[in-house]
Amino acid sequence: MSTPLSLSDLDLPRQNGELVFDAPWQSTVFGLAAAVIDNAFGGDREPFRQQLIKAIAAEPGRPYWESWTAALEALVETLP
Amino acid sequence: MSEGGHHPAPLSPVERRVAALEALLTERGLVPAGFIEEITRRYESEIGPLNGAKVVARAWVDPGYKERLLTDGTAAIAELGFGGPEGDHMVVVENTPAVHNVIVCTLCSCYPWPVLGLPPSWYKDPPYRARMVREPRSLLAEMGCPLPGDVEIRVWDSSAEVRYLVLPQRPPGTGGMTEAELAGLVTRDSMIGVARL
Repeated sequence: MSTPLSLSDLDLPRQNGELVFDAPWQSTVFGLAAAVIDNAFGGDREPFRQQLIKAIAAEPGRPYWESWTAALEALVETLP
Repeated sequence: MSEGGHHPAPLSPVERRVAALEALLTERGLVPAGFIEEITRRYESEIGPLNGAKVVARAWVDPGYKERLLTDGTAAIAELGFGGPEGDHMVVVENTPAVHNVIVCTLCSCYPWPVLGLPPSWYKDPPYRARMVREPRSLLAEMGCPLPGDVEIRVWDSSAEVRYLVLPQRPPGTGGMTEAELAGLVTRDSMIGVARL
């Protein structure tokens, strides 16, 4: 995980059409978080952000979208 | 993007967790039909670094716009039609011959999404987040952006309150170029501050 920064990533296309997710589950969990922020927290991103900070701090080497998933799971736990 | 194969690969653990989340949240009525497809489509086709490039190019050709951009980034970026979630408190920091700016988010990879799209993978990785604060000059050199010793490096740590965008220096020899041509020169990495143009 803690490999050196990918230099090949530095010359990605500057078009807006660049691929931003590596796998379908990543775009799904991204969209799910957006849906929860919009529809359960009235657009307030801070509760999710706090969970994301905790999730990343808990396992700093974990891939980003997996931490994102853990953060969303924790946030969902707080829903009434 | 399913291939519709007869023998789909078994789901990985994280895929199973995401599927469970999707089922739960859909059942609770929190995920309107088509929501995920729509937001993914927007990030893959409308929201990306080209937006930021247009902002930079405008600032290069219009001194009045540049002044507004550096004074109130959010409002000046909204003039071009960009804004919204993850970009509502934008601060634009200007590179000069003496000062090089670079952005990072040490806590959670905050990023100015409306003008740069989603962050590149290295931006979210621990080595970048830790080292850009601790040893920016070495890391920038490793990333192909060596800076002369007399150039001051300013590292801006994004937060929930503020998202930063770097205004790169206009490259020499571009005096005759149109705004659209200039926008084509502006890379995502130059607006993060890990490259110079």
